[in-house]
Amino acid sequence: MARDKEKRSCGQIWAEWKAFVWDPRTRQFLGRTGSSWGLILLFYLVFYGFLTGLFALTMWVMLQSVDPHVPKYQDQLLTPGMMIRPCAEGLDVTFNVSHSQTWLHYVRALHQFLEPYNDSVQASRNAACAPGRYNEQPDDAVPNVPKRACRFNRSALGPCAGLGPPHTETYGYGSGQPCVLVKINRVINFFPGRNKSINVVCAAKREEDAALLGPLQLFPPNGSIDLMYFPYYGKRVHVNYTQPVVAVLFANATANVEHHVECRLRADGLRSDDERDKFAGRVAFRLRINRD
Amino acid sequence: MQVVCCLFMAVGCHTGNCIHGSRSRQFEHSPDPEIKMSTFCSLSFSLSFGIQDDHRLSTSELERKYGTSISEGLSSAKAAEILVRDGPNLLTPPKATPEIVKFLKQMIGGFSILLWIGVVFSWISFGIQLAQGAESPFDNLYLGVVLALVVILTGIFAYYQEAKSTNIMASFSKMIPQQALVIRDGEKKELPADQLVVGDVVEIKGGDKIPADIRLIFAQGCKVDNSSLTGESEPQSRSCDFTHENPLETRNIAFYSTTCVEGTATGIVINTGDRTIIGRIASLTSGVGNEKTPIAIEIEHFVYLVAGVAVSIGVLFFIISVSMRYKILDSIIFLIGIIVANVPEGLLATVTVSLSLTAKRMAKKNCLVKNLEAVETLGSTSIICSDKTGTLTQNRMTVAHLWFDNQIYSADTSEDQTTQPFDQSSPSWTALSKIVTLCNRAEFRPGQENLPIMKRVVVGDASETALLKFAEVILGDVMNIRAQKKKVAEIPFNSTNKFQLSIHETDDPNDKRFLLVMKGAPERILERCSTIMINGKEEPLDSEKAEAFQTAYMELGGMGERVLGFCHLYLPENEFPDTYLFDTDSMNFPTSNLCFVGLLSMIDPPRSTVPDAVSKCRSAGIKVIMVTGDHPITAKAIAKSVGIISATSETVEDIAKRLNIPVEQVNRREATAAVVNGMELKDMSSQQLDEILCNHSEIVFARTSPQQKLIIVEGCQRQGAVVAVTGDGVNDSPALKKADIGIAMGIAGSDAAKNAADMVLLDDNFASIVTGVEEGRLIFDNLKKTIAYTLTKNIAELCPFLIYIITSIPLPIGTITILFIDLGTDIIPSVALAYEKAESDIMNRRPRNKRKDRLVNEQLAVYSYLQIGALASFVTYFTVYAEQGFLPSTLLGVRVNWENNAINDFEDSYGQEWTKYQRTYLQWTGYTAFFVSITIQQVADLIIRKTRRNSIFQQGHNTIRQYFLLNSVWNRLIQFIHSSPSARFQYWFVAVPFAILIWVYDEVRKLFIRRYPGSK
Repeated sequence: MARDKEKRSCGQIWAEWKAFVWDPRTRQFLGRTGSSWGLILLFYLVFYGFLTGLFALTMWVMLQSVDPHVPKYQDQLLTPGMMIRPCAEGLDVTFNVSHSQTWLHYVRALHQFLEPYNDSVQASRNAACAPGRYNEQPDDAVPNVPKRACRFNRSALGPCAGLGPPHTETYGYGSGQPCVLVKINRVINFFPGRNKSINVVCAAKREEDAALLGPLQLFPPNGSIDLMYFPYYGKRVHVNYTQPVVAVLFANATANVEHHVECRLRADGLRSDDERDKFAGRVAFRLRINRD
Repeated sequence: MQVVCCLFMAVGCHTGNCIHGSRSRQFEHSPDPEIKMSTFCSLSFSLSFGIQDDHRLSTSELERKYGTSISEGLSSAKAAEILVRDGPNLLTPPKATPEIVKFLKQMIGGFSILLWIGVVFSWISFGIQLAQGAESPFDNLYLGVVLALVVILTGIFAYYQEAKSTNIMASFSKMIPQQALVIRDGEKKELPADQLVVGDVVEIKGGDKIPADIRLIFAQGCKVDNSSLTGESEPQSRSCDFTHENPLETRNIAFYSTTCVEGTATGIVINTGDRTIIGRIASLTSGVGNEKTPIAIEIEHFVYLVAGVAVSIGVLFFIISVSMRYKILDSIIFLIGIIVANVPEGLLATVTVSLSLTAKRMAKKNCLVKNLEAVETLGSTSIICSDKTGTLTQNRMTVAHLWFDNQIYSADTSEDQTTQPFDQSSPSWTALSKIVTLCNRAEFRPGQENLPIMKRVVVGDASETALLKFAEVILGDVMNIRAQKKKVAEIPFNSTNKFQLSIHETDDPNDKRFLLVMKGAPERILERCSTIMINGKEEPLDSEKAEAFQTAYMELGGMGERVLGFCHLYLPENEFPDTYLFDTDSMNFPTSNLCFVGLLSMIDPPRSTVPDAVSKCRSAGIKVIMVTGDHPITAKAIAKSVGIISATSETVEDIAKRLNIPVEQVNRREATAAVVNGMELKDMSSQQLDEILCNHSEIVFARTSPQQKLIIVEGCQRQGAVVAVTGDGVNDSPALKKADIGIAMGIAGSDAAKNAADMVLLDDNFASIVTGVEEGRLIFDNLKKTIAYTLTKNIAELCPFLIYIITSIPLPIGTITILFIDLGTDIIPSVALAYEKAESDIMNRRPRNKRKDRLVNEQLAVYSYLQIGALASFVTYFTVYAEQGFLPSTLLGVRVNWENNAINDFEDSYGQEWTKYQRTYLQWTGYTAFFVSITIQQVADLIIRKTRRNSIFQQGHNTIRQYFLLNSVWNRLIQFIHSSPSARFQYWFVAVPFAILIWVYDEVRKLFIRRYPGSK
């Protein structure tokens, strides 16, 4: 082979290439005649058609076996995660009190987030449930009956409800006393606290920083979350489900310092110290209030 | 012109002094002076300068020239001085490649390059990702490290394997330091041969190796065996006469490395070490380039293919991802990812392991492979140019036929004969056996009584040895018989008489007559006879009986056998009483009017395994060409008896004889066989040679010199054949090197030949080559299976990555998991594929066409299973996600948010929210499921890859069990490492219908291949 290569000149190689692309003698294009190409293409058409059909069929069969209301497994969701609002890049709430453009987007995000929590909306959509116990709504005879959701009134968030006059409402960002909302991820059929009351606690991540962070005010008081918001039945049947939130008001946080804040869900039987999942039953975020 | 002539000439002439029989007759009838001349001619132009004119000089001139004295030799001081000047009398060993270079070669050749590129790319990718602050850049670092480890470990392994066979080689060349008998300071001294210097006077005797190039100044019955130099098998006589202008032709020079067979001689050393003829040839060998092995070419081809596919897919998806508004840096990472994913990580290890396993297996069958890749080369061999002597034949003269009582009897010529089946009742045989026993000077070396007769060592020439062993087999203790019939006189064979004679007493006490026995060239013997023995009776030798003798003689001679005539005479008691003094010089006894008893013919018979091996080659589509220095008639006879020329085919000469027309009128195309004489070859142009190689399927080259072998090899290679060449002599080394695979003889081979060869046959047996061919084909088939198996999976592994880029779904399978498949679960089945037994038709196929039957070709590359395999894995993947809460519709396009660390309330199809870690964990579960799915596909893949043509029902299925076992082990391990939940048991079954589909599809495909072979 090596011998042959040495003997061939560039021109010959080019001629061979041309003959390979289109050989007028045998009427071959890229080494195959028209009918050969036709057959090959037909074969692949049929083959891929068949494969697509097969794929579609198996996927269809698989989807038929999947319950649209409740997932089959929840292996990963034993401990619900927690998140904050406003949620900025990298869980970092940093703004300058004097420059409104640095916090206006937080305000807008909170406004938007709290829209469905308006008392009027809650009153019209949701039921007033008995507080202090799970709001279980078993399917008696009919499977997947629509479930009613319990009211969570925006007004319960106190100063963080953002119910002031629309143009002056800043959720405390304009005054350097920002509100951060903490929410618990929805998990279907999750019963936290083993029938005992649960609440959210927040603190500086390091105890020595607590003084700098100053006192925190939680709304609803104590950061407590009523059991009536559980369980969640999934978005299909639990259409108007309103996720309980806890507002954290940083009343006197030292300015121009980076604060590391951690909020945990305190519920009986719930571990919030998973080494690998930093957001299971807890949430940590940074807060920095800048003043000129 | 002269150089060309050098190569073309050198027609092995077995000089005129063939002892007896048909061959000497041939020479008498065609005394061709050129034959003698050309023996060494090939060497003469390029090499004769070193010999100077020493052969012309008289003894005294020589003494003066070399400052020595024939009686006194050199003085020790002077010798030491010259030794310092010229260096020791040794051949400089071929420059050995430094071990480190050999080692590095293993690291960077072929596949390894591909892997190294993979390593570099992974590390680049790692660097980019690290700089970017991506979340798990270390995957790429590990990938690179693992790849590098694979290359290094495999390199070490391959190096170790080759080093091992090199060591075996080294043990071969270890020889006892040669001694030479030198006259120095007027005394005879035994010196190591490497201490010899120019001008030394040395004495040699039968059995010695000539210690340097020497000019003989005294010789008595000296014969040398030049076979290691010229390939001539006949010993040549040496004297102190200047017989030829050409120093290489003249009788008075003996060459280094040749052997003195008999007689004694004294000579002056004229050249030592590398300046000797053999030294020059050895250095010539290095000028011949080595051909790339077919497997190396295949692997190169494979690397190009993989690189081509990798780069084109990579670039395509680079463009796609850029146009999909991915960041350029991300796109580059995708590009690199795709290229790395295309690298078949496990393949290098698999190929190396397979080759060395086969090499090991071949070593057991007496093929020692020096270069691992040669294993496969042997399998693609389409022409074998084989030596005759020793390779096809047993390399020992054996009595093949007898003629007495007007009848030809056949003798057993097999390797381990213990009796002879022919009719021994005739009194003529008794008489003949007496002559055979008595008129023979050969003797067994003492102390071999326990060895089989055929294996005993004999002192004496080839014919006499044959006769001695023949007699020993039939009559038993020949030495004892001789002792009882005391020898009273003897005339040894000489080339003028062309007979040998001895006179014995009889062992019968009542019979006081002497018995005169004689053997020699049949026609010479017949001349001396007046009667002939028929059934024990002496009858007058009339013309009718002489005619019968002629017919028998012609017939035996025509079979290429060396024929000897035997006659005897009981000397009348009255004329020759027991006190009579015989004088061999005056010949005071009758040497005519004897009684002719019979003929015996001898041949170097083919090894018993060879005909079978040749027919195997034939059915395997391999052309066997015999290249020998022997006489055409002998060559043809052996070729016929081993099947190189089949019983029905004819040469041009045969046809001419049959049709009774001149040779020129025969249509050359009708003749399937050809016997080409080296003399003819000399005058041929390469076109003519090509024509012969093309038109005749059965070719014998006779009387060729080792140099002509090179021309024949090149001719064969011009036909596009993969050529295997056997050889043993130093002069064979260029051809061995030129050939695609050079096969040296382990026993008879010279070190130079072994060095140049790729393989060494430890038993010198042609049949071993055929076993080697079978192994070589098997390895090619199996490698093809392995590669198909690996590639199928490789593309299936690439698929998820591509889909990931295009549809932005969560990554279905991670790099490390893929590594687990490639280097974990798949290594064993890949190696197991290399252990697969041969398919039933392996030796009935034509050798692969090296231009068309590639290790990897388009058909293989577009095998459709991979799509099926990928489909199955995706179904499993989607199943896992759906059952955990992400329906396929939700998954599309989620990549960016899915991989965002800050998003910890990612909503699934059911309204649930997931943290990043929970998603990642799910992703790992997906990996596991995908992995399981691929391995299930691989079972089907393994099943179908086990055979290329045969249905799985025609082959066994052991490996599959092992595969399952291993698979589950690895599965556990991968879970442990990812600490992911085990893939739920049902996920194992999602892929099963697909696996069955693959298998059914393939069985149908194979059915079509078997039904309609040859179609695309």
